[in-house]
Amino acid sequence: MDAEVKAGSSERFEVEGCDTIPKLFWHQVKARDGRIAFREKELGIWRSTTWREYGQRARLTGMGLVKLGLEAGEVVSILADTIPEWLYADMGTMGAGGISNGIYPTDAAKQVEYICNDSRSRFMFVENEEQLDKWLEVRERCPLVRKAIIFDMEGLSTFSDPDVMSFDDLLALGREHDAANPSLWEERIAASQAESLALLVYTSGTTGPSKGAMLSHRNVIFQLGNADAFFPVGDNEETLAFLPLCHVAERTFTAFLPLRTGAIANFAESPDTVPENLREVAPTTFFAVPRLWERFYSGITIRMREATWIGRQAYRWAIGVGLKVAEQELDGRKPSAGQKLLLRLADFLVLDNIKRSMGMHRVAFAVTGAAPIAPDLIKWYRALGIDMREGYGQTENCGLATGMPDQIKLGTVGTAAPNTEVKISPEGEILLRGPHVFMGYLNQPDKTAETLRDGWLHTGDVGFLDNSGYLKITDRMKDIIITAGGKNITPSEIENQLKFSPYISDAVVVGDRRKFLTCLVMIDYDNVAKHAQDNNVPFTDFASLCRSREVQDLIWAEIEKVNRNFARVETIKKFRLIEQQLTAEDDEVTPTMKLKRKFVNEKYKIMIDGMYAEAA
Amino acid sequence: MAEPILKVSNVETFYGPIMAIRGVSFDVPQGGIVTILGANGAGKTTVLKTICGVMDPQKGSIAFEGRDIQRMDPDKVMRLGVSHVPEGREVFPFLTVRENLRMGAYTRRDADGVAQDLETVFGYFPVLKERADQRAGSLSGGEQQMLAISRALMARPKVILLDEPSLGLSPKLVLEIFDIVTRINRERGVTILLVEQNANMALKVADYGYVLEVGRIVMADTCARLLEKEDIKEFYLGIKDQGARGQRRWKKRKTWR
Repeated sequence: MDAEVKAGSSERFEVEGCDTIPKLFWHQVKARDGRIAFREKELGIWRSTTWREYGQRARLTGMGLVKLGLEAGEVVSILADTIPEWLYADMGTMGAGGISNGIYPTDAAKQVEYICNDSRSRFMFVENEEQLDKWLEVRERCPLVRKAIIFDMEGLSTFSDPDVMSFDDLLALGREHDAANPSLWEERIAASQAESLALLVYTSGTTGPSKGAMLSHRNVIFQLGNADAFFPVGDNEETLAFLPLCHVAERTFTAFLPLRTGAIANFAESPDTVPENLREVAPTTFFAVPRLWERFYSGITIRMREATWIGRQAYRWAIGVGLKVAEQELDGRKPSAGQKLLLRLADFLVLDNIKRSMGMHRVAFAVTGAAPIAPDLIKWYRALGIDMREGYGQTENCGLATGMPDQIKLGTVGTAAPNTEVKISPEGEILLRGPHVFMGYLNQPDKTAETLRDGWLHTGDVGFLDNSGYLKITDRMKDIIITAGGKNITPSEIENQLKFSPYISDAVVVGDRRKFLTCLVMIDYDNVAKHAQDNNVPFTDFASLCRSREVQDLIWAEIEKVNRNFARVETIKKFRLIEQQLTAEDDEVTPTMKLKRKFVNEKYKIMIDGMYAEAA
Repeated sequence: MAEPILKVSNVETFYGPIMAIRGVSFDVPQGGIVTILGANGAGKTTVLKTICGVMDPQKGSIAFEGRDIQRMDPDKVMRLGVSHVPEGREVFPFLTVRENLRMGAYTRRDADGVAQDLETVFGYFPVLKERADQRAGSLSGGEQQMLAISRALMARPKVILLDEPSLGLSPKLVLEIFDIVTRINRERGVTILLVEQNANMALKVADYGYVLEVGRIVMADTCARLLEKEDIKEFYLGIKDQGARGQRRWKKRKTWR
């Protein structure tokens, strides 16, 4: 705990004079009143919710929980997709003095049980019938939970259970309790303290069980205070919310940042409708993970291959103009008047249409993070005229550790957030210090001590700082491959280039203590199936597609392309395709659909060994 | 493995601007029963129509006994030995049962053979013999289905494309019809490509099955193995784990494995 003190915890941080999340929330509810807080699509129509309504519902949620016995410092878990009710539960819980914890809706019942017990949750919000069933399966083994509350009662009209209630009933209960104790809500908010625990974020454990990272109000408020260092803080911004709110990045963008900026969050209907919703909403700022940026890029690339000859030439010319200007800007040079004119023309004729087709024509500012990305991909978006920047952070530092200032350096993740420090340990590990560093892992003093040493957060990432303080990340420390020949290889660099191919959705490079490198590839089903169909390659199911000679050749050609950019020892000699179409529910991938290296290495061990056995 | 009698490769079929079949490939082995399962609008019927020539594919090839038949006129395909039993029977309502059956043998010149086959189908479906001089329109649904299958048989086909024979029939009749279909396959060596919504029945009689979803094949396996797949059980056989509440309504995400 002395780590906290050394990190300078005496310093107070405020946004709009508020030092906790509920104080700031309630302040903004009153100040913004009838302004739109967010929108969601209901029966095909985007409906808005004002800050007044947002505040009222959060208040009733909180008061309902209080009536049901929620004490300050008790944990409330939320098991739901990205929907407005998530925010009501979140702000309601924190307003009532509780601690809010999100559980991934894709988690299996067993994981729900683990998180519920590890966090000592007292209440459980569940989204719908599906999530309720998970809860009912494990509730016997979660004795601490007093009540489960269901947001969406569809299909449950005949269901009744003494330990379960509907969200509407909770609001009604809250209304009663609020009427009887009209000052209680504001009293509870006033009692919130900057130093105390505000929320738990369970990190997807690629190794061992997941850990609950503890974030304080101060952590969040500090980050919000820093917001204008890297983000536009205008109040007319529109965003699209679609990633899981349990993830610290989406939580920051959708729940917390608007408390400062007033940006309007638009909730996507489901993870499957993101492209459509994006076109309807046309956000002005957009945060997404590399996987999504890669998908959009693949989509356009494939479409351009299909285009007419004139279309292809036009695209090639326009993107060329865009790239040239983007490169100059990256070098810190201003494009000439002639170039500007040319860019305007390229934009008018081609680039704007591409952006429109993705729904990104209003995006003035785009952020990528939460996973590594190929620098060329950022350049492509910049060529389109989208100011895309990479950020870096993790749950343990409340989302943002470094961001990209106006002078962009591609391939780096920018500079340290104001009032925070970044340094590199002698072993090459990236260390962070500042008021954004978390309080530790719940119930895991050993892990906390391992991660927080002398006030420095040990990120587990390897990287280096350049002369002007820009951070470049090489890889995860434990992911670095040392080949049998003793050569150190950073797999993510190779993997990022592989993912740049429209046919490769994700890849894992293997080769630790082996003679050469190999990789496992998850294909992009739509694009590969299209390629097969266009080339008259017969296939039936996913596995038969993967096994076809032509698809094997196609992927090998993509790997060869990447191999050319690397030294001989760093080239991939063999590969295998994962012959199953993976979904977010599968253990092989994280909720954001990244392959889990360790898990994949174990699960496909026979396949991997096969690649090395053949060679011998 | 022997060359399949029917080989469909990368077929795409459109209704105007709408792509109904989005690249479908599959094989039907000589003498086998193969089934295509799929929900409404998956494109099952369109696949059959494309094979028999009623619809032309925009792309892809269909080989029957090693010979390309895509874009061939339906009557030519039929003469080669592919008979189609369309969905909803489509018997000629104002012709008698016997006339309907003779229409099935329209392309044949061997009167003796035709007479013999007439007796054979009457053997399979005795009720048709009883009603031989009745107008087909006055038959019950089940009898019409029997007639439609018999009419197809009258052409002495090598392959029968059978489109939803169980449509609108009582469970008992369905059983009866499938029983005869299996017999026809076994006794006469006729290869059968069966499209069905009644997955339970289809997977029992067929050897190999494909699952079609929005114009694409998502699953292919022997029927014995398909019957064991979780997704088939839940989405096609209606067998699902009811969960703690005993009435699960939400659907799992299909993964097709």
